Amino acid sequence: MLDAFSRTVVSADAKGAAIGSEDLADLRKYVADANKRIDATLAITQNVSCIAADAVAGMVCENTGLTQPGGHCYPTRRMAACLRDGEIILRYVSYALLAGDSSVLEDRCLNGLKETYLALGVPTSNAIRAVEIMKIATVAIMTETNTGRKMFKGINSGSGAQCQDIAAEAASYFDLVIEALS
Amino acid sequence: MKSAVTTVVSAADAAGRFPSMSDFESVKGSFDRAKARLEAAEKLASCLDKFTNLAVDAVYQNGSYEQANKDKCVRDIHHYLRLINYCLVTGGTGPLDEWGISGMREIIRIQLLPTAAYIEAFIFIRDEIKINDVMSQQAETEFKGLLDYLINALA
Repeated sequence: MLDAFSRTVVSADAKGAAIGSEDLADLRKYVADANKRIDATLAITQNVSCIAADAVAGMVCENTGLTQPGGHCYPTRRMAACLRDGEIILRYVSYALLAGDSSVLEDRCLNGLKETYLALGVPTSNAIRAVEIMKIATVAIMTETNTGRKMFKGINSGSGAQCQDIAAEAASYFDLVIEALS
Repeated sequence: MKSAVTTVVSAADAAGRFPSMSDFESVKGSFDRAKARLEAAEKLASCLDKFTNLAVDAVYQNGSYEQANKDKCVRDIHHYLRLINYCLVTGGTGPLDEWGISGMREIIRIQLLPTAAYIEAFIFIRDEIKINDVMSQQAETEFKGLLDYLINALA
């Protein structure tokens, strides 16, 4: 597993070069933005159930057949598995966001996920839709552009407007999930 | 590769939980030290050749050696200093452990090389070179801590 720092090290080692000023600029930005990054991660961890439940509910509303007898979310045991998977994906996205690198998400969550879903008969098109909704909800909560109340309590920067860049990074991790399932 | 962040994430993943408040505190703690680390890494990168040559000259000052041997020694010292540069960036000993120390004893022994010469070179860098001239006190402390770690591993 890598983070922003060790990713720089691995690519420098491939060239056999020491890490000098220009490579350090990005890392200095990562360190300077640490508070925003922690706040953005908190935006996920404080709203896990809400984000996952909304996404699965949205997916079902768009395909009401899913919860009918014969549908993929029938009976409730399968619906519960769906909610659980939503939370697992959010957990790995939160790890990747904190580390500033996608390797943990790719190695420990996405590797083989599509094959598992195909083997279990899970329709990947519906799973992708749920991930899309989670992405939209997460970005909205992080940047405080959701309607209604502010949904997370940051410890540092406090304002969602400051999390714009990090929210874009979080969205890119959800895109990786979508890509892996497509 | 081991660093402050990956250690926290691995532990959280093993327990199947989201990162907790104490995880964030520990990550933040490592970022507070990051400024000195990154400065040390930057300055070391710019002085890498200088430090290497000074150390090798100090070790080779007495006696006549073939230039080819000396060149290989320069290469190795340079390699270890580069790994220290990586360790300063990650904030852990991962790069040294994985790429410099594991298997190193065996390689040095099979080539009948004296580890004492390497140790002497790194002790020279630690004690004789005025590191303070190129980097701040805190950065120097971070750099010397890793030099000590390497010297202990070689000894």
